[in-house]
Amino acid sequence: MKLFSKYNRINIAVSIIVFLVGCAAFYFVLRVVLIRQLDDALHTEQTEIIAYVQSHNRLPEVVNAYNQQITFTSIEKPLRGSIYISEKIRDREKDEIEWSRKLIFGITVAGINYQATVTKSQVETEDLLQMVIMVGAGMIALILLAGYVINRMVIKKLWKPFYTTVHEVEQFQLAKQQALQLPVTGTNEFDLLNKCLTTMTSRAQQEYQVVKEFSANAAHEMQTPLAVIRSHTEALMQDEQLLQQHNASIKTIDQSVNRLTRLNQDLLLLARIENGQFPLQEKIELDKIIQQKSEELAELLSSLKITCQIQTVPVRISGNQHLTEVIVNNLLKNAIRYNVEGGKIIINLTPQKLIISNTSSLPALEAGKISQRFYRHPETKADGNGLGLSIVKQVCQVTGYTLQYDYQHGMHIFSILL
Amino acid sequence: MKILIVEDEPSLNKAMVDYLHHQQYLCESVNNFHDALEKTESYEYDCIVLDIMLPGGNGLELLRQLKANKKTEGVIIISARNELDDKLNGLQLGADDYLTKPFHLPELSARIAAIIRRKNLQGSTIIKFEEIEVDVLAKIVTIQGKEITLTRKEYDMLLYFLVNRNRVLSKDAIASHLWGADADLAENLDFIYTHVKNLRKKLLQYGAGDYIHSVYGMGYKFSLK
Repeated sequence: MKLFSKYNRINIAVSIIVFLVGCAAFYFVLRVVLIRQLDDALHTEQTEIIAYVQSHNRLPEVVNAYNQQITFTSIEKPLRGSIYISEKIRDREKDEIEWSRKLIFGITVAGINYQATVTKSQVETEDLLQMVIMVGAGMIALILLAGYVINRMVIKKLWKPFYTTVHEVEQFQLAKQQALQLPVTGTNEFDLLNKCLTTMTSRAQQEYQVVKEFSANAAHEMQTPLAVIRSHTEALMQDEQLLQQHNASIKTIDQSVNRLTRLNQDLLLLARIENGQFPLQEKIELDKIIQQKSEELAELLSSLKITCQIQTVPVRISGNQHLTEVIVNNLLKNAIRYNVEGGKIIINLTPQKLIISNTSSLPALEAGKISQRFYRHPETKADGNGLGLSIVKQVCQVTGYTLQYDYQHGMHIFSILL
Repeated sequence: MKILIVEDEPSLNKAMVDYLHHQQYLCESVNNFHDALEKTESYEYDCIVLDIMLPGGNGLELLRQLKANKKTEGVIIISARNELDDKLNGLQLGADDYLTKPFHLPELSARIAAIIRRKNLQGSTIIKFEEIEVDVLAKIVTIQGKEITLTRKEYDMLLYFLVNRNRVLSKDAIASHLWGADADLAENLDFIYTHVKNLRKKLLQYGAGDYIHSVYGMGYKFSLK
């Protein structure tokens, strides 16, 4: 639900309640005021009648008007004080029941006690109150209508800068060193939002730059010592007397440097993928990559007597050439590395999916663990540093592919959903 | 053949100089930007081995100046920065090759040899070792005048051995040269052994001497004895 709809809903609900309460209060207050006014009029009449009786010592003649009737009824005991009451009476002319206000008081004329009743119609008061209720209802209807109209016409315009900002933020990429461009809107809240976003993104860009430089620096810092160790190991190798005496040590150093070098390269690649340092809009012919890679590995495959079935259709995707090669490379190398002599590899490429399945001496793997960094199956004897599938997964994450693992009929099946 | 090595890490610099010196190259070395600039302005080299991160300046800047001064030296960039941008920039600026640290010294030697061969096309394109002759332009190998058929990998391996003759080459160095990124796999499966065996057999078959020697399970050496 949109923010304004939420606000509007509350606003309208509260308005309706306030109006209802207001109308009710208005109704009662007005009623009291009008009845008091009526009572005043009745009282004036009473005063007039009493004055008339005192000066003339007889009852006045009664002239009944439309909205006022006076009656005198003789009673035995004198009536003290006066009573105001509202009463429903039947209007004989209109045959309707109407409210009327009565004032009853006692009066004594020439020793005879009378009960005087002055009646005034309350119809006008009721009419007025009805009007008040109608105006109230009309106001509520107007509020609802106005809310709807504002929502429809004004809000869209008012929130336009917000959606512009959202769109810009969506388009924003950290890896591209472009500042976020947000227009001045003239609305304080949006300007504040835009200002904060611009500051935040530029800070993120700065920090991204630091991280990026860090990965480059880490490479420099690690690789130079590695280069030193490797070059000196290779220099040591040239001394055959030394090599004869210490060949196990030199071999171990050499192998360790090689392992460390590959590990370092893989970790750097992971860092670079994470940092989004690869453009992802390149046009890629996936089937060609697979074809080329399998040709490169053909020799290795035949020496291991591994049969490789390849089924491809031309598949064009957009992504990063290098990273796509990395995916194919890592999956294929794994399929060979963990295979058995005389085993099988099946590569199947459709526009939706790349499936690489292989035989192996290993049982089914835990799907949740395969892409964990440095995870290797406990029974595996083959080398490898446990980063191959982590890299594949990382590439999948940045490119929007999905890596899936399945084990069926003795085949380990790795699929990339494109 | 004169080579200038520009590398600020002294021990790496020394290891390169020593190795290339053994390969009959005349090596000079500097460890900062300004010395490198001075050297290249005053002398001619066949090949310059250039590090990117240098005290006093960037190696790419030096490369830019070399090209601006119409110098014809072959340049091979060695960098710890595996950044693709650097590689592309370097090659765009006119570098002939790019090696990422840590590299194998025999690989550096092979790359330098290739650059020098490309630069001196009017010179000899024949590499000779005893009765073996390799025409690197036509990619033809002859033994005592007889042409010998090698697979691509065998040819590459022979060339690698010839350029690094008399040196012990580790299995990883050979695997990296022949298989690049797949070297780990090839090495693990002792694939090099098969290739060395085949190459050796072919060379012997055509009457060449037995020049490929296995060295203590460490690697191989191409030499007379």
